[in-house]
Amino acid sequence: MRASDAALIERIVARDETALAALYDRYAGMLSSVLNRILRDKQAAEEILQDIFYQLWRTAAQFDASRGSVPGWLVVIGRNRAISLLRRHIPSQGEELLENTVVLPFNLESTLAQGQLLGRVKGALEGLPKDQRTAVELAYFQGMTHSEIARCTGDPLGTVKTRLRSALESLRQNLQLETA
Amino acid sequence: MNGHPTRKEDFDLYALGALEGEERQAIESHVAHCAACSRRLAEAQGRIALLALGTPLVEPSPSAKERLMNKVRSAAEGRAVRLAPVEPQRARGFFEQWWAVVLAPVAVALALAALFLWTENARLDRQVEDLRATMQDQRKQLDYARVVAHLLEARDTISVSLAPMPGMANGAAKVMYNEKMGVLMYDGWIDPPPGDKSYQLWVVPKQGSPISAGVFNPATSDSAHWLTKVPEGIPVKAFAITLEPAGGTAAPTGPMVLVGPVS
Repeated sequence: MRASDAALIERIVARDETALAALYDRYAGMLSSVLNRILRDKQAAEEILQDIFYQLWRTAAQFDASRGSVPGWLVVIGRNRAISLLRRHIPSQGEELLENTVVLPFNLESTLAQGQLLGRVKGALEGLPKDQRTAVELAYFQGMTHSEIARCTGDPLGTVKTRLRSALESLRQNLQLETA
Repeated sequence: MNGHPTRKEDFDLYALGALEGEERQAIESHVAHCAACSRRLAEAQGRIALLALGTPLVEPSPSAKERLMNKVRSAAEGRAVRLAPVEPQRARGFFEQWWAVVLAPVAVALALAALFLWTENARLDRQVEDLRATMQDQRKQLDYARVVAHLLEARDTISVSLAPMPGMANGAAKVMYNEKMGVLMYDGWIDPPPGDKSYQLWVVPKQGSPISAGVFNPATSDSAHWLTKVPEGIPVKAFAITLEPAGGTAAPTGPMVLVGPVS
């Protein structure tokens, strides 16, 4: 029977290396994909990948899997580190999450679930108007703020803000992520 | 921000990293003491994390996992050696045996050896950690040096001197900027700002709004030199340092202190 993320975390706390290997097999591909998309450098991406899983190994006791999601934590921390490296700056407040404060609206513990959701996310992104998709991609994969996106695209700041809000609203509806 | 953020996208925008300046600080200060909004932010982090699935799948090389597991095993082996000195305590009633007289010195010797190994292992662990930290520092320095070298070598890198505005703080600075690379290097000194103010360096493009290239305060930091990335392909007409509220702002609001026009 396939162990849950929470069960694997408990085993990692008990220093079971096979549990870490299982979590790695489950999420390394997903994390590696986003790191490579941001950095365009396989070696740098693999170094961050290893660092993050080693951090999980060392600090698993602090991770409360009932409060936060393991893949969510991995992706948020990985993205923050990759963008910091890309932009060559030291993370400031809020950029490096100290707690496992990421709640995923889906369970990604199986490869099948990841594959199905991958299709939905790709479809939702491709369904956005081009200017909205560009704004989302500049923010997510290059870590740009509203002003930076405006300067990069040459669009007025207000337009960029509206564009990003509309894009996020559309994504939420298309992915059926209504939580409020 | 005293009340809750009114629009649900506010949390998504924060998680996306698109907010800046006061908008970002307002969410951070509110979430710090509001459990409900802290939860909403955690959910927003999860929604935004899903965007990672929109990328083409790139599997890491098999050696990446091998290196990770080797690192984990090395750490585990270190721990096993440290636990070794505890073993002799299990031998209750040991001295009641006649052969204990012979084996007791051996056990003591083994315990001492284990203690020595534990000490040596701890020392080597520290040494390895130090070396690893040094290697990471050197790698960062090398990356930094590479970018600086590219910046200095590039024929289209411009060098601009910034001079103080009349009646403002005394100082002098120099900016090297490469439009194609989107890289800027600052070097200079300036009298500390008054009260709770900071200095902020701006790239002033020929078209559009100024772009922040760093916030600093000579009174609280030694950073008189830095390298930063700015959006690529921005033709510049000047560089300027303004006096702003501590922490900087999204757009210049204070007086110009140093200015350097691009000739």
